[in-house]
Amino acid sequence: MSKNKNCETVKVVVRCRPLSRKEEATGYESIVNMDVKLGQVTLRNPKTPHGELLKTFTFDSVYDAGSKQSDLYDETVRPLIDSVLLGFNGTIFAYGQTGTGKTYTMQGQWMDPEKRGVIPNSFEHIFTHISRSQNQQYLVRASYLEIYQEEIRDLLCKDHARKLELKENPDSGVYIKDLSSFVTKNVKEIEHVMNVGNQTRSVGFTNMNEHSSRSHAIFVITVECSEMGPDRQNHIRVGKLNLVDLAGSERQSKTGVRGERLKEAAKINLSLSALGNVISALVDGKSTHVPYRDSKLTRLLQDSLGGNAKTVMVATLGPSSCSYEETLTTLRYANRAKNIRNKPRVNEDPKDALLREFQEEIARLRAQLDKRGMLTRKRRSGRRARKGAGEEEGLIEGEGEEEEEEDEGEEDEEDSVEKDVEDYVKEQQEKLELEKAAIRDDRSLVAEDKQRMLEEKERMMMDLRKEQEATDMLTAKFKVRVTALLIYYTHQ
Amino acid sequence: MASLSSSEWRSICEKFRRAQNLSEIESRKDPENDPFRSKYNARELLKEIYSDLKNFDAGENDNDDNDQPQEEQCSDPVEPEGEGSGTGHAGDSPAGLRAARLGVIEYYLGVNHVETEELSAGEEHLMNCIKLLDKCTVSQENVSVFIQARNQLGILWAGRDEIDKAQGFLETAESMYVRYMKEVGQPPMDLTDFFMVEEEALSPQERTKQFEMAYTHTLYYLAQVYKNLEQYERAGRYCHSTLQRQLQFNQFVPLEWAINAATLSQYYITKSCYMEGRHCLAAASVIAGLAGEVPSEAAAQENEAESEKREQLGQKRAEISRCWIKYCLNLLQDAKKLLEDNIGELDTDRQAELKRSRQQEEDEKERGRKSAVLFSSSDTFDSICSLEEKVSCAFPLDFDEARAVFLTGQAHVNQSKEYFQMDGHVTDHIEILQDHSALFKALSFFEEDLERRCKMHKRRVDMLEPLCRDLNAQYYLLICRQLQFELAETYYEMMDLKLAIADKQDELDAHSIKKFNHLCAASMKYYQMFLDSIRSPEGKFPEKLEDEVLRPALVAKFRIARLHSRLISASPTVQLENLSNSLSCYDFLVQYCQEHPEARQAVETELELSEEMVSLLPLKINRLKAKLVSAN
Repeated sequence: MSKNKNCETVKVVVRCRPLSRKEEATGYESIVNMDVKLGQVTLRNPKTPHGELLKTFTFDSVYDAGSKQSDLYDETVRPLIDSVLLGFNGTIFAYGQTGTGKTYTMQGQWMDPEKRGVIPNSFEHIFTHISRSQNQQYLVRASYLEIYQEEIRDLLCKDHARKLELKENPDSGVYIKDLSSFVTKNVKEIEHVMNVGNQTRSVGFTNMNEHSSRSHAIFVITVECSEMGPDRQNHIRVGKLNLVDLAGSERQSKTGVRGERLKEAAKINLSLSALGNVISALVDGKSTHVPYRDSKLTRLLQDSLGGNAKTVMVATLGPSSCSYEETLTTLRYANRAKNIRNKPRVNEDPKDALLREFQEEIARLRAQLDKRGMLTRKRRSGRRARKGAGEEEGLIEGEGEEEEEEDEGEEDEEDSVEKDVEDYVKEQQEKLELEKAAIRDDRSLVAEDKQRMLEEKERMMMDLRKEQEATDMLTAKFKVRVTALLIYYTHQ
Repeated sequence: MASLSSSEWRSICEKFRRAQNLSEIESRKDPENDPFRSKYNARELLKEIYSDLKNFDAGENDNDDNDQPQEEQCSDPVEPEGEGSGTGHAGDSPAGLRAARLGVIEYYLGVNHVETEELSAGEEHLMNCIKLLDKCTVSQENVSVFIQARNQLGILWAGRDEIDKAQGFLETAESMYVRYMKEVGQPPMDLTDFFMVEEEALSPQERTKQFEMAYTHTLYYLAQVYKNLEQYERAGRYCHSTLQRQLQFNQFVPLEWAINAATLSQYYITKSCYMEGRHCLAAASVIAGLAGEVPSEAAAQENEAESEKREQLGQKRAEISRCWIKYCLNLLQDAKKLLEDNIGELDTDRQAELKRSRQQEEDEKERGRKSAVLFSSSDTFDSICSLEEKVSCAFPLDFDEARAVFLTGQAHVNQSKEYFQMDGHVTDHIEILQDHSALFKALSFFEEDLERRCKMHKRRVDMLEPLCRDLNAQYYLLICRQLQFELAETYYEMMDLKLAIADKQDELDAHSIKKFNHLCAASMKYYQMFLDSIRSPEGKFPEKLEDEVLRPALVAKFRIARLHSRLISASPTVQLENLSNSLSCYDFLVQYCQEHPEARQAVETELELSEEMVSLLPLKINRLKAKLVSAN
């Protein structure tokens, strides 16, 4: 479709929910007709007699009331997530009036596999892909933020009332200063991150519906992948996925998704404070400066709308005759989005790749630890894990054993390295205690031997404590990093 | 009012007060699932008041008839507009008052229905209001209702996409205000005045304020109507009036106002109305100053409110500075366009002519224009004027005048850079530097000394080159391309200047040649970087260029071709190599246009020249080859 190979338009799909029971009871009829084969939506104006003034729009795909979550995912989302895993940037927008099924489409019902939405499905997809990959190292990070009344808040930060700033860096483009991000190693962990964010989003507001329908939420997953290239050099690709739950489109005219706002032909702004909109509309921007900033959302997602990204937009509709105007607005907007052309490229070896930073740090730490003789134990346990992986077919389980040890340490405060060290030591101690108990209970051993072994264990525990003092932070950092890398070894 | 007992009247006033309170204050707390609860309650109260008033009116009907003859003797001060009957009660007669009172309630009912999304019912009430008042002459009592009802109808029709109707109502409101102020001018009654017990009545100042505010809104709505009708000049005028009135009646937030005025200046700039543009900018700077001092960094660190204020003030002032930069830049560039001959050099005849005509015209003409657009607030007027005097609004016609404009622009460059630093504001920072570079470029046109002109271009190179080096093209592809292209062009210009200087000296020394070749190479390097940025990630040059890079890419090829052939070398082998490089670039352009005929029109001149070169260069190359052979 596109003229150039490097160029592609935003993929726009439309989904329509079934008529609700309430709507049916009230006697509203469905005015939306979908031709799934042709990808067409036809909208009938309820005020005119049948067959008159039908409006037809064509999209990349349309999903009618009978469509399943998996239809949308497999056809529309899956290819996008695959691209992200290859190092492209990807964005999925859900756009539509409140109550048309945006949340159902994006989140769905997590517990019911049939009804899971885009987000849980993509989590599953990403980590399944990683577990099946070979000769690649992955690092997956997640951030979660919200834009409400032009203020950015971190949903994963304790002090979530704090407003974050949108900044730019010559090296890495637009970023949010101090936005936290969490390394996640499996579906469970990334789900946990999302849940924490969702909880933050819902507390502190007396009117949750009002708040969430007016705020944009963006869940960002960064997937870094390191692979040996033909040049025997490690190359890192970074794909970034934005999962965007936009505010209800009924508020869209105010918040504006793009610079090219929803131009409601002739509506008058009542408040004098909108005088600036009028004036700036008169200015031809070419040789002038128009001192109104684009919305935060626009700036943050500028790559997704006409930049280096692949973008899918899911416009959600209600079929009822009572929402004719809104449905038409949504369709028009979606129709316009089709014209946005992106230029996606694989993000190779970006300077800010965290993975590289980790790899370098690990190398450095390894060197330091080697000197301290720490690594013998470390290596041993690494081998054990590798061996396990080789034995069992499911590679992710093979690593799982080691990972779980760290889970508890990271669960509530991932970045707190110190705590991690404590946990590690505690765990080791507990383990040794258990072993001690086992030795004590083992009647097959002679008392002498028992005593000797117990002493040895005791000594090991002492060593452990000393070890901690000696290696201090180094070990902890190293451990966190190594497990975060999600290294999957292939069969040797 | 005669037949209304004071207690009955008090109860009506109380109902009205409650309705107002419900509609304005309580309604904000209404729950999502019942969003109009308070509005509906207010509506019920308004309806009650309406029927109360009707009942009393019925009792007063006899008096009404008595009133009639008196009123007709009254000469009506203001003719109601066409849609009404034209003759009727005097607005200040008892019947007129009754009508106004009912009209006010109809007005509030209308607004109430509009706010609760019942547009047709709202329209009906508002039209009832207008019908009631149309029976009366416009007076101190009813002029506010007149205007506000029409404002509301204007909004309503605009919301229905019927701009013409909206325009009709709003323009009537406008002319009504103008006539009232001309013929009566007293502070009129406010809508709420009708239902206030005397001790709560508004002061004349307060009445004036409310009335003027309503009219400010009329103008503001008209600005939007004209914008929607694409009558931009009119829209601009009404925006300007809205700003003027905000200032005049002290109804503005300084920073917001200043930004709006600064933006309006940009509108004037595009229309080449530099006097108006400058006035807006001077006013913007002065009014922004009213927002207070920028808190110190230390204060900002201690207190979040201070920190936000610092950020806000810093940003807005920097934005205004950027509008000033554009003012200076456009003034210089427009002047250049006026003065340049067909090869882009200063046309001295034209310069002399413009200088002569300037003095004659200017003085009278601009005075007339000026009085129409002034932002007149007594306490700021002087500071605005003195700021205006710092920079001219007439086209600079010689270097000294151009330099003065340049320096103002440069001062604002430095000011805006303080806020828009590279670290954190990459795009803005670079845009400012690009403007700075453009200021130098425009100034260099006025500079007659070629050496000094060259130095100005060197300044541009010095500010742009580091940016081009440090910027990650992955995120700033567009800017990188702009910078590459501008650098290539700047080096090209420097190369041209060096050649011109050398021509004057008759002889090229080795140093000059080295310098010259260096400039050629630098220019080629940046054109090539630009061309490389178009390649696919695999390094392949696209077979078909996209629209937005089509002309730049072909021009870059063309320039590289020219640069190759201009390189100076004593060695025939090198000469040969340069020429064949040049030929292959020209050839690329010709080939491309053959394969993509639609590209021809984008590069007409370049293509024509390239075709010629493609036919000529081989001859030259062959001759050179022959010479080489014979020399051996």
